[in-house]
Amino acid sequence: MTALLDVRGLSKHYLGLTAVDNLCYEVEAGAIVGLIGPNGSGKSTCIDCISGFQPADAGQWFLDGRDITGMPPHRIARAGLTRSFQTVRAYDEFTLIENLCVAAQETDGVGWMQALLRGKHLRSVDAAADGRGRDLLATVGLADYAEAPAAILSYGQRKLLAIAASMMAKPRLVVLDEPVAGVNPTMVKHIEAVIRKLNAEGVALLIVEHNVDFIMSLCSRVIVLEAGSKIADGHPGLIRSDPRVLSAYLGKSHAAEYGECGG
Amino acid sequence: MSADTKAGLRLNTGSQPKVGALRALSIALAVLALFAIPKLTGNEYWLALGVSFATMSVLAGGLNLVYGYTGLLSFAQVGFFGIGGYAAALLVIERDWSLWAGVAAGGGLATVVGLIIGYSSLRLSRHAFAIVSLSFALLCMIVARDWVELTRGAMGIPGLPAPSMNLPGGMRWRIVQPADFYYLLLGFALFAHALIYLVVTSRLGRAMRAIKQNEPLAQSHGLNPLAYKLLAIALSALLAGMVGGLFVFYLTIVDPSIFDFYYTETMLIMVIIGGPGSFWGVLASSAVLTALPDLLRFTTDLRMVLYGVVLIVAMLLFPGGLGGWLQRRRVARWRRPHPAAP
Repeated sequence: MTALLDVRGLSKHYLGLTAVDNLCYEVEAGAIVGLIGPNGSGKSTCIDCISGFQPADAGQWFLDGRDITGMPPHRIARAGLTRSFQTVRAYDEFTLIENLCVAAQETDGVGWMQALLRGKHLRSVDAAADGRGRDLLATVGLADYAEAPAAILSYGQRKLLAIAASMMAKPRLVVLDEPVAGVNPTMVKHIEAVIRKLNAEGVALLIVEHNVDFIMSLCSRVIVLEAGSKIADGHPGLIRSDPRVLSAYLGKSHAAEYGECGG
Repeated sequence: MSADTKAGLRLNTGSQPKVGALRALSIALAVLALFAIPKLTGNEYWLALGVSFATMSVLAGGLNLVYGYTGLLSFAQVGFFGIGGYAAALLVIERDWSLWAGVAAGGGLATVVGLIIGYSSLRLSRHAFAIVSLSFALLCMIVARDWVELTRGAMGIPGLPAPSMNLPGGMRWRIVQPADFYYLLLGFALFAHALIYLVVTSRLGRAMRAIKQNEPLAQSHGLNPLAYKLLAIALSALLAGMVGGLFVFYLTIVDPSIFDFYYTETMLIMVIIGGPGSFWGVLASSAVLTALPDLLRFTTDLRMVLYGVVLIVAMLLFPGGLGGWLQRRRVARWRRPHPAAP
């Protein structure tokens, strides 16, 4: 059985600095996989490359067996891999429901002429997107603000909106870049619950995050990067006691101490 | 607050059909009034202002599509305007084409040129597009002046004949009187604005606004920015080229001054004061700013000074133009704490 996302030998260099070095990993359909690592370990570069926002130097990656290597971002999104951004992005002038509906319009099969002529078909497609958008807003807890402009949202609410928007086109895999960074603990719990709910509907998630507790409680598998290479890949329980992971995060001497105390 | 908000929204949706009907009625009345003006007054000056409004509003409307909706600063509009004017004039007088065919060809040529400029420069960045569009407009003026065999040089092509047009039902309309040109240009402006309105209120317009607000986010949602940018450029070039083709027959001459920076300046002011990305705002400011220099004629000395003052005051009061002011009020209304329901 092939994995949903299959990354083979991804490499990216910046002027001699190796950001990602011959990285291989897989994400299974329906899984929640965490991608962690110290600052500068190549997490963001890795997801920027697979989502098409940065050209990779080497490697190939497949979504559901389809080669999506080197495609521009919009085509990768249409193929079923969407993402959120570390710097939270939203269309501030749009209402929340518009923010969501625009994210579904490229995958519903309506052409430009149909869009201008406004037939029955368009109306039913738009009504379906509106319904899905409102369902998603209810899921993330923003239903009351459906008609409000996105500019009024708080930081945490914008993260929720971004997650909902990344779900609109019914993707197979959603990549979340630091979904809880800088968010208060109550909101972290809420976002965790939202992600579980969305995952229960069948979408797979790849989550980059610095909040290790969040990752450990949410993910079925965790991939650890250091200096652009994968140093561990497995169940969160195993990752927690992996000596290489401990030394990457804590330094060699502290890792030894931590290990002696029995973890 | 949620119950209160919902009640407010229900109220809103309940009154929307009425508002829509009212709006449609007022638009119809305004259009009727505009078309009735030649019947009410034979004053050629008013008709000339009307022609000027029709022409400039089409140029500003197209610029609004490119700059206001899609976020691309463009100086190329005046180039498309002049290319359309030259192409239509040359085809009608040298090849004996009909006015319609000449104007359509002018619009088509402008569209092709627009797509070439857009495709080549947008692969780099928005800024590259702004620079290339500026160079293009300047280049147009030089070509019009120096390619004498084609354009007849600095003297231009004077004495363009009064065009005529086949109307449905076998009638032939010779466009001679100022009122004829008024109807012709206003009719075309109506068509152009209807087309722009159709686009900006559709999901295509929504996609353009999304790309302007946050291009990477739009890409992550599957939108192809280049495609929508080229659509906006092509449509604005088509309309600018066609209105240029009609306008030169009104002037009865086309010369290199059709590429004058004055047009660029005027349409930029119209878009900025009206509010980039606001259809009605830009239409309103096109009308006001066409009439304003005339309203200020009571003092010939201070006329342009007062015009400048009005622009400065407008920018101070409405930094985002009329449309931006409305948007800010919308956001402020949602930010205000909602009072508890009694």
